[in-house]
Amino acid sequence: MSRGGFGGGVAGGSGGARAGGFAGFGGFWRGVGLIVGLELRQRVRGVAWYVILGVFFALIALVTIGVAVLAGGLGSSGGTLFSSIVFFVLLLASLISPALSGNAINGEREGGTLATIQVTSIATGQIVIGKWLAAWIASLALLVVTVPFLLVAIGIGDVSAATVLSSLGILLAELGVLAALGVGLSGLIRKPLFSVVVGYLTVAALCLGTLIGFGLGGAVTQTPYTQTTVTSVYNADGTYTCSDVTTSTYSAPRFDYYWGLLVINPYVIVADASAGDFDSSGNPTNVFGWIASGVRSAQQAPETDRYVDYCTDGNGFGDGFTDDGPTAEELLRTGVPSWFIGLALQSALAALALFGAWHATRTPARRLARGSRIA
Amino acid sequence: MGTAAIEPEGSMSDPQPDFSSYAPPPSGPVPPGQPSVWQAPTRGPAGPAEPVGLVVDDVRRSFGDVHAVRSVSFHAEPGSITALIGPNGSGKTTLMLMLATLLRPDAGRIRLRIGGAELDPVAEPLRARPLIGWMPDSLGSWANLTVRQALESTVRMYGHPRAVAAQSAAALIATVGLESLATRPTRVLSRGQKQKLSLARALANEPRLLLLDEPASGLDPVARIELRELLQRLAGEGRTVLISSHVLSELDEVATDAVYLDHGVTASQDAVAAVRASARLWRIKTLDGFALGPALESIGVDPLRIGTDGQGFTVSMTDEADAAAVLAALVAAGVRVSWFAPASGELERTMQALQGGGMA
Repeated sequence: MSRGGFGGGVAGGSGGARAGGFAGFGGFWRGVGLIVGLELRQRVRGVAWYVILGVFFALIALVTIGVAVLAGGLGSSGGTLFSSIVFFVLLLASLISPALSGNAINGEREGGTLATIQVTSIATGQIVIGKWLAAWIASLALLVVTVPFLLVAIGIGDVSAATVLSSLGILLAELGVLAALGVGLSGLIRKPLFSVVVGYLTVAALCLGTLIGFGLGGAVTQTPYTQTTVTSVYNADGTYTCSDVTTSTYSAPRFDYYWGLLVINPYVIVADASAGDFDSSGNPTNVFGWIASGVRSAQQAPETDRYVDYCTDGNGFGDGFTDDGPTAEELLRTGVPSWFIGLALQSALAALALFGAWHATRTPARRLARGSRIA
Repeated sequence: MGTAAIEPEGSMSDPQPDFSSYAPPPSGPVPPGQPSVWQAPTRGPAGPAEPVGLVVDDVRRSFGDVHAVRSVSFHAEPGSITALIGPNGSGKTTLMLMLATLLRPDAGRIRLRIGGAELDPVAEPLRARPLIGWMPDSLGSWANLTVRQALESTVRMYGHPRAVAAQSAAALIATVGLESLATRPTRVLSRGQKQKLSLARALANEPRLLLLDEPASGLDPVARIELRELLQRLAGEGRTVLISSHVLSELDEVATDAVYLDHGVTASQDAVAAVRASARLWRIKTLDGFALGPALESIGVDPLRIGTDGQGFTVSMTDEADAAAVLAALVAAGVRVSWFAPASGELERTMQALQGGGMA
């Protein structure tokens, strides 16, 4: 039919009912902003939310004091405190975010208000992106609450600017990924309860499942290695000879096959990107460094031939492992950085979830799950 | 934005905008270049907002093996109020969802007729939606928002700026009579009040095509009368109104057209015409009590056409001319007639007859 004529009629009209709409790039984001505002006012900004933030503030205060006491006793620094708080925010966000965003779309459908948005000029993409951004902004409140404690940690010292920037930047991205997963699932799954549960399972798979898979895989896949041990034999005159050489065969776990699982772990991503602070003896000054160097040491295959000499280091009372091994800092320098791969994979997962939500929420709807209502 | 640049809306093109319709004029100034949503449609059919007709042709939709809508065809003209009539489960709501661009038909054609052009709302939902106002049969509302905020949000979702949305929301609140609740959160509204809010939301963008799914349910009698008047006013402005309801006597008073739906199929024009042409019961009351029976027989009415029930006498009339003739004869015979009307509503009778006789 003559769409051109119709279009001309509307475009040429001197305003009226059909002025408006969300044409162009700016228009699209204006519509997204409307949904964000509505979402924050309607779903997030309630008394319960402020209670959660208050409890969170109190918890962070406790953690800060606890870590400060512990770290102070160990002669440590602000780095430990800072990294602990960052991880605590991530922990709380992964506990709260699925519940907060996991019914963003299907909850509104159940409430009967989603369709009243869908019949306006707001497009499905604007709904999905708006709800994602709103969930992200809401979880940022957790970060804002912790700012005073982060400042205290930075004030204590030993936290480099690079660590602050990278850890907070990655934390920000992780909160976005969590929000996207929740909103995406809420669009893909019809039942709010089910989508919230799946959201929690997904977060658990990322945070705990990767750890369990890494541990189990390494333990199951063992590789044999031979260990040659030199011991000293004491003579009657008080001297000793390094004569006894024993060779045994043991097996070692092959964590190097499975370290890739940890790449997608949110905590590892934050740590791996932010591990740069070490003391003069090569030890990390924060939790990031310990985790990152641990992951990078897992990248190395175990040696198949080991040589342990309890004798030749002088007096016959050698402690065997004369080589102290690489420091954490050396491990970190020689290992393969992985945070960008993990973040890219997570972003792809989040984008997939949002795309799926968009696809499932499009109108006019082609397919409907059995027994579901769209209005 | 400088206030100096602001001038009253309408002064550019129309010195005396006609705001006599249901939408009160914007009370405050509107920035130039941002037309009020209320302005154009109130100018009537000659204004820039063209009337929108609706054509539905053999539309089908099934959910799995449930054939909710099997074959629906009808058309609705601007200025008409079309009643969508059918028993529960006849596919009314499914049809409404398809017309509201929420549900895709499996087959068939839906077209909006705008002037000489046609718009396919299934293919171009974003162009059709600003023209359509849909009032769902469910009563969802944003519980934490006030009535005013909810309506402002809806108006802004059509792309209108904040200032326009504020004026429109005020006008909508006045239209549906929710002034006293404007600043209360929508969760405190009663069922009938939510129904009014839902109606206001459907009117948010001055739609040319109104789809109302059970708009009267939950409304008190006064509100129902107001709704009826509002619908007539909207149709008088050249809008196309499609309304479904179980309360047929109410539709009887406003509907200019009717679409009968049973098991997802619309009754054909012929079937409806045949039913309408068939004999119909009229109720007659007089001040003379049982004298009416002999009086009817004395003016030549076949006794077989005369019946009695708890409320008195009924007479089967073949058509309205027949009824007029009987009334004239009764009055001429000196019977003091106080009531002379069809015993049941036209829509109700037609629906019952169609169901009883089969609609194939």
